[in-house]
Amino acid sequence: MNFNCKYLGFILFLLSINPQITYAQDDDTDIIEKILDILSSELGEDQDYSDIAERLTYYRKHPIDLNNATKDQLKELIFLSPIQINEILNHSLEHGPFLDVFELQSIRSLDIESINLLIKFVKVTLPPPFKDMKFKKLVQKADHDLMIRMGKILERQAGFSKLANAKEANYQGSAWRILTRYRYSFSNTLAASLNMEKDAGEQFFDSTKNKGFDFYSGNISFRGSGIVKKLLIGDYALQFGQGLVMWSGLGFGKGAGISTIAKQDFGLKPYSSVNESMFLRGASGTFKFRKLSFTPFFSKKNLDASLTDQGKEVSTINISGLHRTKSEIVNKSQLLSTIYGAHIQFNSKSLNIGFTSFQTQFSLPFSIGKSLYEQYDFRGNLLMNLGFNYDYNYRNTYFFGEVAHSKNGGSAFINGIMSSLSPRVSLVLMHRRYAKNYHSFFNQSVSEASNAVNESGFYSALSLKLDSKWDLFTYSDFFRFPWLKFRVNAPSAGYEIFTQINYRMNKKLNLSSRFKQQVREENSEANSGLETVDKQNYRIEIIYSINDRFSFRNRAEMVRYQKGNSKFELGFLNYQDIIYKPMSSRLSGNIRFGIFDTESFNSRIYAYENDVLYSYSVPAYQGKGVRFYVNARYTLIRGFDLWLRYSLTSYYDQKIVGSGDDEINGNKRSDVRMQIRYQF
Amino acid sequence: MKYICLIFIFFQTELIAQISPGPRSLSMGSAGVALKEIWSLQHNSAGIAEIRRPIFAVGYERHFSDQDLSTQKAVFAIPYKQHVFGLSIHRYGINEYSDQTAGIAYSRNFSGALALSIMLNYHQLSIHKYGESSALSMNVGMQYRINDKFLIGTHISNPSNSKFQDLLGSTIPLSLSFGVAFEFSDKVLIISDIHKVLNATIDTKLGLEYRLIKWFALRGGMSANPFKQYAGFGLQYHRFALDVASSSHPNLGYSPNLAFSYEF
Repeated sequence: MNFNCKYLGFILFLLSINPQITYAQDDDTDIIEKILDILSSELGEDQDYSDIAERLTYYRKHPIDLNNATKDQLKELIFLSPIQINEILNHSLEHGPFLDVFELQSIRSLDIESINLLIKFVKVTLPPPFKDMKFKKLVQKADHDLMIRMGKILERQAGFSKLANAKEANYQGSAWRILTRYRYSFSNTLAASLNMEKDAGEQFFDSTKNKGFDFYSGNISFRGSGIVKKLLIGDYALQFGQGLVMWSGLGFGKGAGISTIAKQDFGLKPYSSVNESMFLRGASGTFKFRKLSFTPFFSKKNLDASLTDQGKEVSTINISGLHRTKSEIVNKSQLLSTIYGAHIQFNSKSLNIGFTSFQTQFSLPFSIGKSLYEQYDFRGNLLMNLGFNYDYNYRNTYFFGEVAHSKNGGSAFINGIMSSLSPRVSLVLMHRRYAKNYHSFFNQSVSEASNAVNESGFYSALSLKLDSKWDLFTYSDFFRFPWLKFRVNAPSAGYEIFTQINYRMNKKLNLSSRFKQQVREENSEANSGLETVDKQNYRIEIIYSINDRFSFRNRAEMVRYQKGNSKFELGFLNYQDIIYKPMSSRLSGNIRFGIFDTESFNSRIYAYENDVLYSYSVPAYQGKGVRFYVNARYTLIRGFDLWLRYSLTSYYDQKIVGSGDDEINGNKRSDVRMQIRYQF
Repeated sequence: MKYICLIFIFFQTELIAQISPGPRSLSMGSAGVALKEIWSLQHNSAGIAEIRRPIFAVGYERHFSDQDLSTQKAVFAIPYKQHVFGLSIHRYGINEYSDQTAGIAYSRNFSGALALSIMLNYHQLSIHKYGESSALSMNVGMQYRINDKFLIGTHISNPSNSKFQDLLGSTIPLSLSFGVAFEFSDKVLIISDIHKVLNATIDTKLGLEYRLIKWFALRGGMSANPFKQYAGFGLQYHRFALDVASSSHPNLGYSPNLAFSYEF
């Protein structure tokens, strides 16, 4: 599958109480983008944000009632910190039920920015909600959501052409990407989801072996309020503690705000993303008895893996989910993984303690890599993980952490404090230490590498609200890698510094500037030692609305990359966005025109791009050229929407674009995408 | 190896020798141009202009946990009407290498908001088998209170670029630093400095003080270039105060710092 176009986006449909038509309200797209921007200081192109987008879209349409809100629901909004959540929940206990959402302003730890985001997802209703569920009602109050998306790169890529002396093209399927997605939900109680996807180059009903889409994923889930809190059959995700032992799905780390550094676990949840690897397939449930909740889980799933020559051992697990070429198809579903275990949690008002234990069994053992840096990697076919996590809220301070151990391997620790020292000053301190032989296939703890292993570090962050217009966020992180890593042939160390200043002049004008520096060590090209790699990012962004229809966004970004004493490399990106979102029109959309000029791959720049609903792309701008896209949405009738997106990258002074099977003859790459959604 | 390490240490500290933060400032990322305390005498002497009673303080810092390499220092300030006079003594080094500085400062507050200061320093450097040398230098400092929450400060160290005449290569750094202090509440103080030394890179520093209870404060901070993290605490008992701090350098390790002061 193609990770370039990951699905995020957003829409507000009219408030269901209000019978007057207000069409497409694309400002939701901006909300999501804003949230993602806070969550991740560096958005990557290989992540799937559709899951978050879907969850937020859901709460946009079905706002959380502040007087009946649960901790889990508020956690799902992800931009709230644990301290904020506790204070919101305590507010109605101490001062009686909320009478209006603007009462949120009296909560100490909530700043204006958080309130502005939060009021889009919450409401206040005074009578208790109607809880009776009958079959007839189930059909009546149900929401159905069907979506089909198709897309294609217009230029011909090398993988689709037959080479002179070859029998067939490398890519076995067509260049179209197709996604079909269906959701059913009934008032937050019963839900079902189905995803069917085919990436560019993958087969689709066009071979004897292939019976339709390349990837299917689905589940049926139930949320209750009695002993059975959650039940789920199909594909699911589990998130416990700080993510040291089990965290499937997206896990954010160091972001442009303090809300993400202390992970807030959801436990069991339905899997809805189209990322083809990080999830579990089977059955699970959460059962609650007073202050204890118990979540057993079982999963049996095939993984893509390349095997050693004899086919008896696994050399690597492939997580891309792409099955385009013959070799990718051969590697498909080579390895069977069976996972079973349970999580027990004790919840009280301010203290939560959890214990997780599970076993992972593979049908084939893992081989040991030849390189020295791989010496402590997982081997064999059996892995047992144990984890203990806690969080505790005392006044204005939140303590959190997790201790984990992998059997026959090492241990990992993460501990932190988050404190709102004054209503305008928040502080986070966090220490982590992961052994070089700590093994876990589902860990998403805060780390420099993609996995929490072979690392120790200390992170500190400070968030300051200088006044109602200015705020500043900064963090520093020092880390050390006690064992070798890929392309680092010695123990190494590094640090990261991040600062962002926001200025909200008024409702119409927002200014922000950002600085980020990452320093780490890598193998030297000149000699056998290590060299320091210093990468600095500078960014300025202005967002302003001209009238109630048009708003503009400008960004200028620069990257400076330097390795050792060699000459530094620079990269620049400037773009102009025009966003058209009238209050009541069937048509809305946005346009970008950008110029980029980067000296090398190392000085490439990532930037968020608007896309069709639920789709989300963060491409790398690299080389010299121009980027343009236009993205439009049209509401045919209420509940039936169409999207169309066209994008073009035109490179200066380049005869080919891309490499390998993706190579295009010429200096352009253009992409078209269509989407329809029907809600009933 | 030890010598390489020592050279590195000297290189590191020579650049900051002129500004020697006390433990309160050190634990806040060694920022403190806009701080008002007794150790401002060795950081930005304008910071003593609001002292109302004589204060005496002594301090000790061990560099990178090395047994031998340390700094000993003492300061004394006495107010007289609108004027505050200060005396500062500072010794840094080991037996084979030592750098001693004695200084006198004059600070004055104008209209309650602006504080200006001038300081004269006498430096003496002695390196075993190379000899001794001395020099005079000058510092000027300023602090301005914008409102009751917000303070800015500037400090210029050795603007005339004095040097040790007899020991070539040993310089007294010429530096300019600019700092802000922001009081978010009666418990939270944030300070930040930008410090530029001539012929060296620019450093930015950030620090936080959190007064947990009236007599106990926690502090932390960082500096960007070289990257260091800092932490410390302060205790106050009537007229006595004890401040403890430590900085942590990624490669060289910890440097603990301790000071004790008494207000007459």
